Amino acid sequence: MTTSPEMRDLAQRLLDYEAFTEKTSEPAGSATLRVYEKLRHELGEFAGVAGFQSLASRALVLAKTEAPSLSVVRVGADGSLQGLGEIEHQFDIDKIRAGEFPAGEGGIILIARLLSLLHLLLGEALTLRLLRATWHCGVFDDRNSEHGRNA
Amino acid sequence: MSTQDKVKINKLPTGVPGLDEIVGGGLPEFSFNIIAGAPGSGKTTLAHQFIFANASPERPALYFTVLGESAIKMLRYQQQYTFFDPAKLPDAIRFINLSQVVLEKDLGAVLEAITKEVEKANPSVVVVDSFRTMVRKPNSDMDLQSFIQRLALFLASWQATTFLIGEYAEEELRDNPVFTVADGLFWLRQTAERNSIVRKLQIIKLRGQDSVPGLHTFRITDAGVQAFSRTFGLTARKRNPPGDRRLSFGVPELDKMLDGGVREGDSVLVAGSSGTGKSVLATQFIAEGIRHGEQGIVAVFEERPEAYAERATSLGLDLETPQKDGKLTILYLRPLDLSVDETMQSILDAVQKIGAKRLVIDSLAGFEMALSPGFRADFRESLYRMIFALTGIGVTILSTVEVDESFTEFPFSTYSISFLCDDIIRLRYVSIDGKLRKIMVVIKMRGGNHAKDIREYEITSGGVVILGERLTNYQALISGIPEHSAPAGSKEELSREPTIGRRS
Repeated sequence: MTTSPEMRDLAQRLLDYEAFTEKTSEPAGSATLRVYEKLRHELGEFAGVAGFQSLASRALVLAKTEAPSLSVVRVGADGSLQGLGEIEHQFDIDKIRAGEFPAGEGGIILIARLLSLLHLLLGEALTLRLLRATWHCGVFDDRNSEHGRNA
Repeated sequence: MSTQDKVKINKLPTGVPGLDEIVGGGLPEFSFNIIAGAPGSGKTTLAHQFIFANASPERPALYFTVLGESAIKMLRYQQQYTFFDPAKLPDAIRFINLSQVVLEKDLGAVLEAITKEVEKANPSVVVVDSFRTMVRKPNSDMDLQSFIQRLALFLASWQATTFLIGEYAEEELRDNPVFTVADGLFWLRQTAERNSIVRKLQIIKLRGQDSVPGLHTFRITDAGVQAFSRTFGLTARKRNPPGDRRLSFGVPELDKMLDGGVREGDSVLVAGSSGTGKSVLATQFIAEGIRHGEQGIVAVFEERPEAYAERATSLGLDLETPQKDGKLTILYLRPLDLSVDETMQSILDAVQKIGAKRLVIDSLAGFEMALSPGFRADFRESLYRMIFALTGIGVTILSTVEVDESFTEFPFSTYSISFLCDDIIRLRYVSIDGKLRKIMVVIKMRGGNHAKDIREYEITSGGVVILGERLTNYQALISGIPEHSAPAGSKEELSREPTIGRRS
């Protein structure tokens, strides 16, 4: 089963936001890591390190079925993501040169899978509340109006 | 020092329906409380209701989770309750997981972590769920009592109302130093009674507050915990002194027997065996009230409201229209595993909703049978509390009760609830001249000069109709097998014609 278009869209919005609003001096490939680290911080606070680590591991396993390039990526015991930076780096440089979206497909899928798990376990309203606490921006505005709620 | 100089303790809403009444109007602000009980008894849900009722972005709630239930799963389940408002997360309510600190460090580090978060967020409410899991951590430099004491001191200084949640068994209640520190101790119990689960809540202590003592039933529904105070939430209501107003039964001769009718605010018991017309009399009582502009509630247990109203129609009494007009509510209560307090709360809610002045409970036997076996032991006590509460606010209650027909005895009630009633009307069969006929007698009327006559009555298409004068030509009528004391056919012979017609 692949990631749903809605979750891909949400993941892409977050990655876009991180890619284009953070300092341009940072490596473009770190957009995925920045989104991941923010999620790790926010979710780790209430779910605990072990709770987040479990979620991230599951998301990675699911993501690998869609993106074999993630096969070298690991989730550490503290929930940190290891190995993603290396595989995204070359890919992102190529993308930027072509004027395209800088985050790699694997990164989008991984974040989408993580968001899907949250959506599955906590529901849309709570997931969006948690994301909104991290990304104080208009990333979610379309979703709010679409569903007619102030999430 | 005058009373004006005393510190005022603000009372916070608990967010749990019925619990504010039990704790004496609300939870004392800045109090340090423990919610104890076995797993699954509703501790976490109760704490959640409190934080959702009190947290705001300006004064948020911090909910520390420790080892135990996964925070994600907890939120997954808790959000199913109607009180759970996702919009409060994470600005007004923040969940913070301390598992790692507990696992890797000692209680001192846990205290430090809590302190740091509290100083940062300035919360109005702090919950630690479950603090008991921290206790089991061996080789800690700080013992639990010291930890609790320091936490209590710190949180009180930071003006936070606190809940510690812990799994405790009944036997751990005694001589537990942890409980000494707490201002409030809430104990939740859950026991199996045959096939039913009985949940009870007890406020073992609550400093500075006049809480309602005893065990209170509670239920967990999709709205969360709902508590049912033993006083039915009517302790704050001013009691109405009994007035002199008499309420008509809609049966003129019976009103005369009652010295003008039932005194307003009385509890009346109509006792008789099957088919003697108890429900008919009750229906006439409620219909007569509506005719006089007094809203009514009928609680039925043995037939559905439609059938009850239909039967009234056959007696020429319209119960459909007042139901549509909001003047009458017929409650059908088959509670299965509901407690008697919950059932009575339904009746009370209905009474208060329409401002009912008359209440019929038809019948007490059906009421008791509808309860789960585990709750039947509390039936009489709960009934007493409800009758006391309702009559105290001026509601007149008529209860019917079926009694075994005996031809050697004349019992008032098999339920020994006569003491609950101001007035008792007894209906029974008698065997006269080879026919089963019916007699009625007012056994008791508190503070009233009621007739002592034994009267014959019939159930006609117009309801209960009392026949003739009192029966003077029979001996031992109440035995059910009377003997003639005057020759048959004499002028004293029982008249078969109604002397007074029914009211339309």
